[in-house]
Amino acid sequence: QGKMEEGKAYSPHGLFAHLEMLEARAHEADVKEEEAKQQEEKLARLKARVQELTLQRDELQAKVDLQQKRQLEKEGVASDPAQPSAQAVLEWKIKRVKAMLQVFCLTGISGKLTKQGVCFCISTAYEGTYLDSYYLDLLTKPEVRILRHSIPIFIPLEQLAKKYLQTDIRRFLSVLSNHLNAYAARKYQADQLQEHFSDQIEGTLQTNSLCNLLVFNYNVPNKSKTFPFNVRLLYGDLCSSIPTKVTVSCTSEAPASLAEMAAAHSDLFCHVALHKAFRSFSDAGES
Amino acid sequence: MDEIVAEYIRRTVLKIPRDEIKTVLQKWGFLSEAQLQTINFCQIKENISQDVVQLCEENSAGIKQAAVLDIIYNHIYSNKRVWSVYQMNKTGEEMDFFDLTDFKKKFKRRLQSALTNVTINFREYEDNAIWIRIAWGTPYTKPNQYKTSYVVYHSQTPYVFISVSVLKSNLPLLCQALVAASNYHDIHEMELRSHSLNSLKDIVFKRYSQNFQSYYPRPIQERNVAPESDSRINQENRNEKERIQRVNSEVFGDGPQPKLEFARYKLETMFKSDPQMNVLNKKEPFRCLVKFSSPHLLESLKSLAPVGMADAPLSPLLTCIPHKARNYFKIKEKKGVSPRSFVSP
Repeated sequence: QGKMEEGKAYSPHGLFAHLEMLEARAHEADVKEEEAKQQEEKLARLKARVQELTLQRDELQAKVDLQQKRQLEKEGVASDPAQPSAQAVLEWKIKRVKAMLQVFCLTGISGKLTKQGVCFCISTAYEGTYLDSYYLDLLTKPEVRILRHSIPIFIPLEQLAKKYLQTDIRRFLSVLSNHLNAYAARKYQADQLQEHFSDQIEGTLQTNSLCNLLVFNYNVPNKSKTFPFNVRLLYGDLCSSIPTKVTVSCTSEAPASLAEMAAAHSDLFCHVALHKAFRSFSDAGES
Repeated sequence: MDEIVAEYIRRTVLKIPRDEIKTVLQKWGFLSEAQLQTINFCQIKENISQDVVQLCEENSAGIKQAAVLDIIYNHIYSNKRVWSVYQMNKTGEEMDFFDLTDFKKKFKRRLQSALTNVTINFREYEDNAIWIRIAWGTPYTKPNQYKTSYVVYHSQTPYVFISVSVLKSNLPLLCQALVAASNYHDIHEMELRSHSLNSLKDIVFKRYSQNFQSYYPRPIQERNVAPESDSRINQENRNEKERIQRVNSEVFGDGPQPKLEFARYKLETMFKSDPQMNVLNKKEPFRCLVKFSSPHLLESLKSLAPVGMADAPLSPLLTCIPHKARNYFKIKEKKGVSPRSFVSP
């Protein structure tokens, strides 16, 4: 359009320029049309080629299928659909064994043979709830060694391995499983406590990676919050989910009745799981 | 409020991306919700930081609160620092109960007995991570709050994550205090460094995805069967593709890889050539340094075979990185990969 205006301003040179431009446009259009036509032809050729090749492939596939069928017939495979073929029976057996092996995993310790040894899976659970699983990849030659594992770093795996791995592998797995299950149970109790009884806990729950030392302050439900109890739970046995030493204290200004209650709680924590103990407080409080 | 504290808080706030300042301040908890409501978080950061300092003035913030804000900042943006992993050794086998209060007391006492002019602050997180912030001074000057080191320690583990960045001369002091407080015997630096603290934790705590063989019914992970886009397209190399996937899965596992930025191989091997070529007549090791860099090294290594850039399985020198928990290697003749000697603090 600019050129049109130019043409108006500078004719007759503008007129020629305009004609040139029109010529150029026509030429461009021609080239494009030619290109498009070539593309179409190319596409058509390729489509034809694809059809040709597909046909060839189908023919060859049919030949292969026919050969395989002939091979099977030679071996005398029964084609009677009523009777289950040996293949089907085998498949069913395999499925059953696999299911059995999966059930084994629910027992807590299961293993699978590998190229270099065996891979054990230790599953943890607490009171009907399945928790995490951990793996141990063992080499069996020239001696039993741990190749790799997913055991948490704070579990004393090296200590246990040094003690039992070479001599009594069953014991090793059993002790390791006890450690892992106890840790999982302690952690579960602490998590349950924070999830369901957070309103009774004052401040934060001080713990550590193994969950074998818990320190926190808590209030007894329905009692005034002026005299919170401080509790220190020490789990001396790493294979146990019940503490070995419990100290429940309250400030010296607290009335004697609370001091008595503290002693009772201390005793309770030594025998009952943490979250269950707290549940009993709530139940007692409500009654 | 101390001018130094005010300036420190102001500069810390300026480091935070504007959209996240409110969240960080809420995590800090030093300013009440009501006070936070009075700040306009849409203005430019300069003004936001001034408003924050003003409110901190009202609450009489001290160096302790400012330090906590700094820890929170570094915890959220921990990937802005380079973290090294240190390993501690213990001789005895006694049970470790790890009392947090005890640990903090011992650490402070040990460090301050060697150097009085330090600011030490702790902060514990839910995953049992203990963050320690140390601001260093000298025997003659007060602690400089801008010269800080950070330590992350998980109780009852032999690994410590340290980000030093400045004043490496204080490292031995720091190491001694850690060993004393955690009841270990000695400490040495591992050949493992990265910006991603969580990835370093994943590697040494063995939390990264490893493919263990078992009959355990895994939760159904949809095998990546791409929806049949076009029935006319056939995968002629399907077998090879599946083999590569399988090998890759065995080596790298199926989950996300820990994030490392580089792997460095120092070669001290003999140059092996045709004896007739007479190259390097002197039988001296050929020294060479190879460094692989990537925004996410292990993921890129994992994808090399599937995209066809390398054969599967990859060289064990590359795939052993998470398992050996190192990304600095020294390769010598015959012995293969050997660890660097202990760096005593």
